[in-house]
Amino acid sequence: MAKEIIDGQTMTRALTRITYEIIERNKGIDNLVLVGIKTRGVYVAHRIESRLKQLENLNVPVAELDITPFRDDKNDDVNTNKIEDIDIDINDKHVILTDDVLYTGRTIRAAMDAIMSMGRPKKISLAVLVDRGHRELPIRADFIGKNIPTSQKETIKVLMKEIDGEDRVEID
Amino acid sequence: MKRYLILEDGTVFPGIGFGSSVITTGQLIISNIRTGIEQTITDPNAEGQILAFSTSAIGTPGINRDFYESINSRCKGVVVGTTIGSTVDGTIPFENWVGSLSIPGIKNVDMRALSDHIAEHGEMKASIMDTYDEHAKDQIKALVLPPDLVKRVSTKQSYPNPNIGVKVVIVDLGLKYSILRQLSYRGTNAIIVNYNTSVEEIEALHPDGIIFSNGPGHPENLPNTLKNIQELQTKYPILGIGLGTLLIALANNCDIETLDMAHHDSSIAVKEVASGKIDFVNHNHSLTINKSSISNSNLIVTDICVNDGSIEGIRHEYLPITGSLFEPEAAPGPSDGYYIFDEFIQSMESNKEQNRGGIHKW
Repeated sequence: MAKEIIDGQTMTRALTRITYEIIERNKGIDNLVLVGIKTRGVYVAHRIESRLKQLENLNVPVAELDITPFRDDKNDDVNTNKIEDIDIDINDKHVILTDDVLYTGRTIRAAMDAIMSMGRPKKISLAVLVDRGHRELPIRADFIGKNIPTSQKETIKVLMKEIDGEDRVEID
Repeated sequence: MKRYLILEDGTVFPGIGFGSSVITTGQLIISNIRTGIEQTITDPNAEGQILAFSTSAIGTPGINRDFYESINSRCKGVVVGTTIGSTVDGTIPFENWVGSLSIPGIKNVDMRALSDHIAEHGEMKASIMDTYDEHAKDQIKALVLPPDLVKRVSTKQSYPNPNIGVKVVIVDLGLKYSILRQLSYRGTNAIIVNYNTSVEEIEALHPDGIIFSNGPGHPENLPNTLKNIQELQTKYPILGIGLGTLLIALANNCDIETLDMAHHDSSIAVKEVASGKIDFVNHNHSLTINKSSISNSNLIVTDICVNDGSIEGIRHEYLPITGSLFEPEAAPGPSDGYYIFDEFIQSMESNKEQNRGGIHKW
């Protein structure tokens, strides 16, 4: 049975804290680009963007990233996987990748490959709403909403208002 | 026995004495709480204070021995309207309890007139006496309240509150037990130290974060603690509560000022600036941070009081330092503020992760 482990309010607070931490570690936040990994990572990026706008009155560009062509578990013909460039110049920028759940790290590896194929950012950081452990690659998040120790049998489901109608995180 | 509450400005309120019969003096605080009398009276913040409860009837639910905030009460006296001696579920009747703590009390005081008077003229010193002649009035005018309130309530010796989670050093400026209860509940491994503990001694404990607790008095009376904060704040995540937050503000070049109308109630509305969310939390402070001074500092305002717009929560722009002027541990009051502890623990874990360079615990 699904059990709620983060409610809407806690999610809002976690994202607010991540925003504060981004401000904290990027004295003056020009040069920043938020890149959301489809699907829910994009909403996380937009939430952080609007908080940054509200708190620091700064506009940070947000890009959406489709990592499908870079996945390591796809055997499809490369030609059918069209790589879509994001429409923001990321050269020499500080890119903050955002996603909902950090698990094996394979998605993030793919996202970094995707970013690298488009240019050479000065730095890539990672912000995630939930870190559930069980990494299979040497990857870690810089900004974490909540650490949730899990077993590999469990599934973590992140629901967000923009697509699911409500904010909550469930464990099953 | 007839006794008198005499204010610094010479105003006299007659009443009937209960509890201890000693003559007492202290800072008169009007508290608007309705329940949680035992928590407020045992709160170390009450050091040197005479607490006046504006609610018409005090003691309806009785006194619960599980709700103490320190071992001994620090309060110098209590002023109430009517008392009710009920003992719901084996609780202790209010008047007996005050007597057992040897606190002088005075009841049947016109609390509406007293609250009005303080609202108009601001907080002042007061005395509970058997007579109200000129001599008594002169005495209270001449009284100087001790500036070393924190020294009296802070633990003399360090002690642990062990658990298995992140390691926190709590600098005790007048620590309420409910802060420890909230930290215990979250598995935090805490060590509580004296307010004057040196930076070296704190660093030798290798904490993940430091809490500067609530406490009585003015932050300017604590120059050593202030210097410690300035030194420690670049190295560790810090959480301030009440007096601790005022010290953080002072350490970051903000000015401290007195509130026009002091906040002493168990549920006052506070708005989180970022989300606009309203929380009802316990307030127990007469001082606040000057607003114009904060805009020239590295601190940002995270929470404001809905009633008067005063600052209730702060954060450092570039360092993992947060503070609340309200009391997130409640006791008494609603649990809306508990998230402060969750956020601070997450902040410590995140900072630990950064410094550790990516070695995971799983």
